[in-house]
Amino acid sequence: MSEENKAPEETVKPEEPAKTETQSEAPKAEAKPEAPKADAAPEAPKAEATPEAKPAAPKPAAAAKPAAEKAPEPEKEPDPRLIEAQQRLETIKGKIATKFGDAAIEEADVKKITPTLVIKPEYWVDTVEYVKTDPSLLFFYPEAMAGTDYKDKGYIEVFTLLHSFELDYDIALKVRGARDNGSVPSITPIFSGFNWEEREIYDLLGLRFEGHPDLRRIMLEEEWQGHPLRKDYVVMD
Amino acid sequence: MEMFTWLDKPMSGMTFLNMALGAVIVLGFILGVVTYTIYFERKVIGWMQWRIGPNRVGPLGLFQTIADVLKLLIKEDIVPAKADRTMFLIAPIIAFFPSFMVLAVIPFSATHIFTAASNVGVIYYIALSALTIIGVVLGGWASNNKYALIGGMRSAAQMISYEVPLAMSLLAVVLMSGSMNLVEIVEAQKNFPYVWYIVPQFFGFIIFIISATAELNRTPFDLPEAESELVAGYFTEYSGFRFAFYMLAEYVYVFAMSALATTMYFGGWEGPFLPGWLWFAIKVSAFIFFFFWVRATMPRIRTDQLLSFSWKVLIPLALLNLVATAVVMTLV
Amino acid sequence: MAIRTEELLMNIGPQHPSTHGVLRVVVKVDGEIIVDAEPVVGYLHRGTEKLAEDLQYTQIIPYTDRLDYLASMINNHAIVGAVEKAMDLEVPERAEHLRVIVAELQRIASHLVFFGTYLLDLGAMSPFLYVFAEREKIIDLFNRLCGARLTFNYMRVGGVKWDTPEGWVEEAKQFVQHLKKQMDMYHELVTGNEIFLNRVKGIGKFDTETAINFAMSGINLRSTGFNWDLRKNKPYSIYDRFDFDVVVGENGDCYDRYMCHLKEIEQSLRIVEQALDQIPEGPVMGKVPKILRVPAGEYYSAVEGARGELGVYIVSEGKDKPYRLKFRRPSFVNLQLLPKLLVGQSMSNLIAILGAVDIVLGEVDA
Repeated sequence: MSEENKAPEETVKPEEPAKTETQSEAPKAEAKPEAPKADAAPEAPKAEATPEAKPAAPKPAAAAKPAAEKAPEPEKEPDPRLIEAQQRLETIKGKIATKFGDAAIEEADVKKITPTLVIKPEYWVDTVEYVKTDPSLLFFYPEAMAGTDYKDKGYIEVFTLLHSFELDYDIALKVRGARDNGSVPSITPIFSGFNWEEREIYDLLGLRFEGHPDLRRIMLEEEWQGHPLRKDYVVMD
Repeated sequence: MEMFTWLDKPMSGMTFLNMALGAVIVLGFILGVVTYTIYFERKVIGWMQWRIGPNRVGPLGLFQTIADVLKLLIKEDIVPAKADRTMFLIAPIIAFFPSFMVLAVIPFSATHIFTAASNVGVIYYIALSALTIIGVVLGGWASNNKYALIGGMRSAAQMISYEVPLAMSLLAVVLMSGSMNLVEIVEAQKNFPYVWYIVPQFFGFIIFIISATAELNRTPFDLPEAESELVAGYFTEYSGFRFAFYMLAEYVYVFAMSALATTMYFGGWEGPFLPGWLWFAIKVSAFIFFFFWVRATMPRIRTDQLLSFSWKVLIPLALLNLVATAVVMTLV
Repeated sequence: MAIRTEELLMNIGPQHPSTHGVLRVVVKVDGEIIVDAEPVVGYLHRGTEKLAEDLQYTQIIPYTDRLDYLASMINNHAIVGAVEKAMDLEVPERAEHLRVIVAELQRIASHLVFFGTYLLDLGAMSPFLYVFAEREKIIDLFNRLCGARLTFNYMRVGGVKWDTPEGWVEEAKQFVQHLKKQMDMYHELVTGNEIFLNRVKGIGKFDTETAINFAMSGINLRSTGFNWDLRKNKPYSIYDRFDFDVVVGENGDCYDRYMCHLKEIEQSLRIVEQALDQIPEGPVMGKVPKILRVPAGEYYSAVEGARGELGVYIVSEGKDKPYRLKFRRPSFVNLQLLPKLLVGQSMSNLIAILGAVDIVLGEVDA
């Protein structure tokens, strides 16, 4: 196992070695059953390693939370994960609002424990670019993308999950496009990994992505009528 | 025995009949050998791969190949609509013919019965075996299939490249024995210093065996029919008995090449105690086994690596070997 | 003098021995050099996500078996894990251990198949049969556990369906010891082979930045030297209790991906060994409501699949069926990089590169 946890060029910082070390130490600590506590140790230095622009101050307190999502005590009153997620959401919301104004954010919420922001289509590409490149955020790992048809609300929602290796958590960014002939800007030029995902959403939900380099159906043939994942899709015999 | 000494007789009705009879017997014999070579291959590789191999048709699966060949023979002869029909039909025959003809010069035993003790045996073998390439390229081209075409092209490139070191390594043996007659080469290995040519020509033998594997299109040089890349290579479009012809040609060559190696480097039928033909059979079987063994062990080499290996490594080494042999022969 | 040459358009697949299913790659070749390549997918699209919208959560589990059919157990784990996280359900200790054991055995089986088929792609036939003999032993273990050999449908929300039969744990332990010894043989047979090394070293190389930008995960990402394994980085189930290393490569070429697979088998064996030693007695199903109703909301959770991050995104309206279920299929995502890797390579390298990206078409097409 190599100790190298090298992030792409732009993120390599002097703090990097410290982070790498905690990473490689974690496995040994986790051998014991009381891993949750042991895991908290690597968590704390990591929080300090993050750029100070981020409100790192409240983090050490929250760091006591086990990294394990399956916390043994889900009943305990204020779920520390939830509080943490709330703080993260506020941070990101604040950053985006300062950069693009409040108008850019349609909704902001914590879904389960993931900070989730709905961005207006006009600001979509810029926002994604911003969270990817801003040195205090660096959400540059495109984890997942999914489209959902909200028939009653009249829009199709695109969910993207981005991960920051620097901050070590996920955020979900969303954008909504109209159901009828709707379109949203494509972020494939920013994240090549969303190329096929966007094609799949176009194929199965019928939401167009403006600026996509190669927007064609991917799963179904070109002549296919309709978009199967829409709620009002009628299965043909 | 009078009847079998037709080799140096003038051509008459009787000698012609004898020749025809000899050819048929050799043909039948080879078909039997090939049938059981294929069976042997499947069994041996099966054992090497923790499985049983053919065991259903006949006792121990002994009739498996016969059943396979019969199946191939009665299958429909499919010619793709877009194929070049004439060429498509001729190609397997062109590939198949020379494979049998080369057997004419192989000395199976000390009493040379059906085969020819030709004075140009080595050249004859090399020249005829090269003809097969035409059948392969033609088959690939005429199929009008891209995989087949690439397979055919690869095959041509490969066989031409490896023919050169093969011939050069054989020439070193010719230099040592002073004859191109395969019988005389075997005889020469009986004389002083009483060793088979594998010993003085060990280097040449290595070159020979590598080139021979490539020439036979066998793993690790089975690129022309690289299944994982080209589906089946040049015979992708062939089925039925035309496919069987390609397969037969391939296995006849395995036998012929093993026989050639035995003759050139391992003293042919020479050996103590046992009769000559048995020695020959043992040695040839060992070679055939070697080819199977390699097949079960090695991955496939890449085209460009294959060609550069031939031109940059094997041919210079073969040349060196040839020159060294010549120098030594002059001095001694 | 320039010779006029023509580019050849070739369809590799959908019926081709080395596309591992019904993948089609349209390549333009100039001689044997690829000038353009485009993967065409969708031949195996069954609409799993659409089907799931009409199924109760338990009913979805067998459908996940058919995604990455070489790693059904891990797919099971992904869906039940996602539902459990969404509902904050507790899973009994024994069930958690069993899950880890079967998931890691499945990972081993899957990597073994990679090893075999990859070598088969490269023209070596024997390893394929060797690993299938080993895999057979794992499949037999699973067979005794749940009665199926490929699509296991073993896990349930809140636990696992069956407890171990008599002597199963002992057998599994024996198998772990057996495979540990076998691994050396595989290295001896293949890893040192000059021909093999010549075909995989430096081929299909990409760097971490590309891999991350292309959302790659699993071994494809780790082979570039980037340490990212969900079992460590976002521990789920009880993976944080086991001692194992994350295997990372150096150069991100086919050789590294091959080595990562083999080394990961060794690490998985370590996990299985520990889990088998620690497995407690007790129930294998937790207390779960008869009808599972995921509270309204959106949930994403992921497990480290055999091929990368296998995520499940659930949108629920509080009913017993998901409003929308999306699988983040690692094979599908990883395949995007293929055209970039192929341009300028030869036909033989196509097979080597495609094989090392390690896709399963059931997962690509969902």
